[in-house]
Amino acid sequence: MADAIQKKLQSELEKYQQIQKDISKSMSARQKLEAQLTENNIVKEEFDLLDNQNTVYKLIGPVLVKQDPDEAKATVAKRLEYINGEIKRYETLLKDLERKSEQHRETLASLQQEFQRAQGLPVGKV
Amino acid sequence: MAGKGKLSSELPTGMDRLKEEHRKVVKDCQSQISHWRKFKNDYESLQKRLSTLPDKLSYDIMVPFGSLAFMPGKLVHTNELTVLLGDNWFTKCSSKQAQTLVEHRKKHVKSKLDDLHKVMKSFQDRAGFTEDLKRMALDRGDFIDIREEVENVEAVTKGKHRVAHKTNSKPKEEYMVQLEEEEEEDDSMDAGSKRVLSEEELWVRLDELERLEEEQDERDRRDSTDTNGEDTTSSSEEEKEADAGAKVQVNGHDKHSDFAPASHISQINGIKPQLDEEQDEEGEEEGNALPTIYFSHTVEPKKVRINTGKNTTLKFSERKEQKEQAKRKKKNGKCNGHAVHEHHKITTPADIYRVFVDVVNGEPVPRKSILKSRSRENSVCSDTSESSTADFEERRAFVNRTHSHDDATHSDTSDGITEEDSPGISLYPNGRFEAFSGTVIEKDPLPSMIPYLTITPPALPTILERKQEEVGSEVPQEPPKRVSKFKAARLQHK
Repeated sequence: MADAIQKKLQSELEKYQQIQKDISKSMSARQKLEAQLTENNIVKEEFDLLDNQNTVYKLIGPVLVKQDPDEAKATVAKRLEYINGEIKRYETLLKDLERKSEQHRETLASLQQEFQRAQGLPVGKV
Repeated sequence: MAGKGKLSSELPTGMDRLKEEHRKVVKDCQSQISHWRKFKNDYESLQKRLSTLPDKLSYDIMVPFGSLAFMPGKLVHTNELTVLLGDNWFTKCSSKQAQTLVEHRKKHVKSKLDDLHKVMKSFQDRAGFTEDLKRMALDRGDFIDIREEVENVEAVTKGKHRVAHKTNSKPKEEYMVQLEEEEEEDDSMDAGSKRVLSEEELWVRLDELERLEEEQDERDRRDSTDTNGEDTTSSSEEEKEADAGAKVQVNGHDKHSDFAPASHISQINGIKPQLDEEQDEEGEEEGNALPTIYFSHTVEPKKVRINTGKNTTLKFSERKEQKEQAKRKKKNGKCNGHAVHEHHKITTPADIYRVFVDVVNGEPVPRKSILKSRSRENSVCSDTSESSTADFEERRAFVNRTHSHDDATHSDTSDGITEEDSPGISLYPNGRFEAFSGTVIEKDPLPSMIPYLTITPPALPTILERKQEEVGSEVPQEPPKRVSKFKAARLQHK
């Protein structure tokens, strides 16, 4: 009895840990996205500070590639859009994961109780 | 006790941990702040340099060559800069433009710094609070635990509200509040009734009652149209009104069997609940007699109705209805039993006047200001409550009405009004028109009569609402009463 429960507990615990890992992973990804968002926002704002005379380059690999300023602006806007979308996606993902982890935690708690009871009973009997 | 011991033993470690976390956050914030400060300084020096850079066409500089060596060089194109905007975007711009960019970034850095400062401060505060908490938990010398046991919150509030009604004569707000409370209390009521019946049973029963009422209504409508001018009005009115009218008839004609048992109970309850209520409210209204409270409460709504005028009343009722859901409605059906009595009596604002007159003086003389709440002490209501039965009888005699005492009391729920109502009700049944006009209130027949017809419609909704309110509010306060009523009704029915 106790063994079975322990096995179950073990597997449940592993699942729970996996979820925790996922959560922290997506959390850091989200943070990275957040940083990119602010960075791109700054770029966008600074593009607005420039005028058409300024030449804009994009660093691709080791070279600076000349870009059309308007095009660059559009690119940045698109990138911002994408980042926002990603952030939203991660947010839902995180929520989902958290809900799952909550479930797992509950089952873990109940399992633990069961396990303790199962362990305690024999001892008491003996 | 055990909990306390556990608490005190657990607290220190938990506190330490919490404090540790707080400290960590603060430290983190500090390092970040210093980080951003460095940025800020860099940008400031950069800006300074940018401002002087274009001053000359070329500079002699030492160019860093790897990490170890420098070599002499010359800086030319002093007004041409390539700026990294971020995310690998570069732009070529003049020194002046670069300065604006730097300014922009400094702004960003500043906001970042402000945020960090805020975070740090909040966590420092929290740490301080934790410290206090710890001290509080460990040595309770300086701290006293103040606790207030709030069990009868609803009841108490109720009492207050009632008082407010009287004194302020600000019906609207209070109504709203009461409505909300009502809902709550309804819930509680449900719980209470569950004890007696299962909820389903209860609903079934309520449905039944409702149906019955409707039937009665139908009959009433037909009857009333023929007989009474007044009744006609009511019938033409909203359904609710009709309901009320029907109910009245029932009492008069058929003397519905349901009512009889209920009335008995209510009689019994009538006294008891009053006592309870008094106890509850005693603190607030010491001067008032127990019964007085009851009465005043009932009366209030009527007054309110008069005061507010049609619009207000209607509004309330509408809102009520909206709020009320099926459940509510069902309940109302039940409630209508009570309401009916009241309705009869108070169909018109004029009716209210009459009632007051009768009750207060025991004479037909009308009161000038019904609206004032002074009624409690002086009013008939109080009288009734004190020497309830005797007064009742007297009044009844006055009315010349043979109606059974039970019916009158039946409205147990309550209030003086109810009791008063019952006489009014009796009037209707007896001689519908005639009886009514010739009633106790003979002295002010004209005024009362005239308004009667005109104002009837608005009054009804209000009453209904009030009823509901009453039911909702009173039930929680005096659960036994409520239960008994339902029970009684059910028993009767079965």
